[in-house]
Amino acid sequence: MIEGMKLTEGLSYEVMVRDRHGKVLERIVAPSQSYVNAWNQCLYVLNRHSSFTIIDTGGTGRSISYSSSVLRANAGAGEIGYGIRVGKGTTPVTINDYAMENPCGEGAGPEQFLHQAMAASSPAVAGPDCSFWLRRVMVNNSGSTISGIREIGCYVMMKYSPAYYGLGYRDVLPDPVSIPDGGSITVTYTLKVTI
Amino acid sequence: MKLPELWYSVVVRDHDGKVISRERRRAHSFLKQWNEFIWYFHFGGTIYPKITNGSPTKLDSHDNNFLMTGGEGDASLGIVIGTDDTPVAVDDYAMGTQIAEGYGAGQMHHLANTFGAPVVSPPSCGYSISRIIVNNSGGLITVRESGIYHQHSYRYGPVAYQFYFYYSCGVRDVFATPQDVPDGGSITVNYTLQVTA
Repeated sequence: MIEGMKLTEGLSYEVMVRDRHGKVLERIVAPSQSYVNAWNQCLYVLNRHSSFTIIDTGGTGRSISYSSSVLRANAGAGEIGYGIRVGKGTTPVTINDYAMENPCGEGAGPEQFLHQAMAASSPAVAGPDCSFWLRRVMVNNSGSTISGIREIGCYVMMKYSPAYYGLGYRDVLPDPVSIPDGGSITVTYTLKVTI
Repeated sequence: MKLPELWYSVVVRDHDGKVISRERRRAHSFLKQWNEFIWYFHFGGTIYPKITNGSPTKLDSHDNNFLMTGGEGDASLGIVIGTDDTPVAVDDYAMGTQIAEGYGAGQMHHLANTFGAPVVSPPSCGYSISRIIVNNSGGLITVRESGIYHQHSYRYGPVAYQFYFYYSCGVRDVFATPQDVPDGGSITVNYTLQVTA
């Protein structure tokens, strides 16, 4: 377990695994390594007010134009097109990643999680920092332990209709985690700017 | 730790186009408003970022939010510069003392912002925004700060789509060395936003 690392700025994550009673079994806190192409390309589209071809989570280049839907991550319960996801991929992050390597699906079947609605804090200033967090709880009601969870990330909306999604950031955990049946995994990303 | 990196470069030229000063370094200058806009795009709740006059102003959903494409003569949007050297604080909401658009004393002429499209060069992906600002004031102007203003949309009243457009400051930097721009000369400011896996 990596715990108590000092996080000074940028993007960081926390992963909490709980059993069916809510007891914390594992906690990982670490700096993220993981903004990828689509994140910056979406910012460019917004700043430049233009269109740009961005690879979506299916691996297809899509022409994305500026809109209020770009970068949206506030997915509701059961929505896995965007928002925070977890998976079993182990390949290190590269700037060209466009999707999770092996994401877990939505549901109560084998290797599936029930994805709860995304939550977020409001941006808050503390000294030289301004930060907010995004969080998602994913519950394992599959009937058995889901082991080998090794990657986390956040999909963002790039276009509302037709809906296209992109990978904003992705991380590979230092060690795999296992979520018991009835338990949950909570992933929290903190986005911070620091002077 | 790999972070979103913001770099700026400043090039000062005399009236013949000769480069007389340069500065390039990593900026540490994303402000509160920047993160508030990212939050808004990410999550879409109610938030009141400060606009450049210091007033907290509700941010409403509009395609123009975060726009930085200020045109020629427009010193309210895109890269801006100023004369103040007060250190940057995360809750700054404007340039310390912005240089106004024009040709009078202490004023400079802002050319259009230009963009460099995102370029992937593993392990990084970056894009740039640049602006040339010309001094035709008749005297030397010392520039000590730069930043980026972006569009902020506010919907007022019961009428749908009755929008008002303001500006928020997302980025501010104080130069390591004050840059003297002679009469007839120019300053080119370039910001590069880069992410690295």
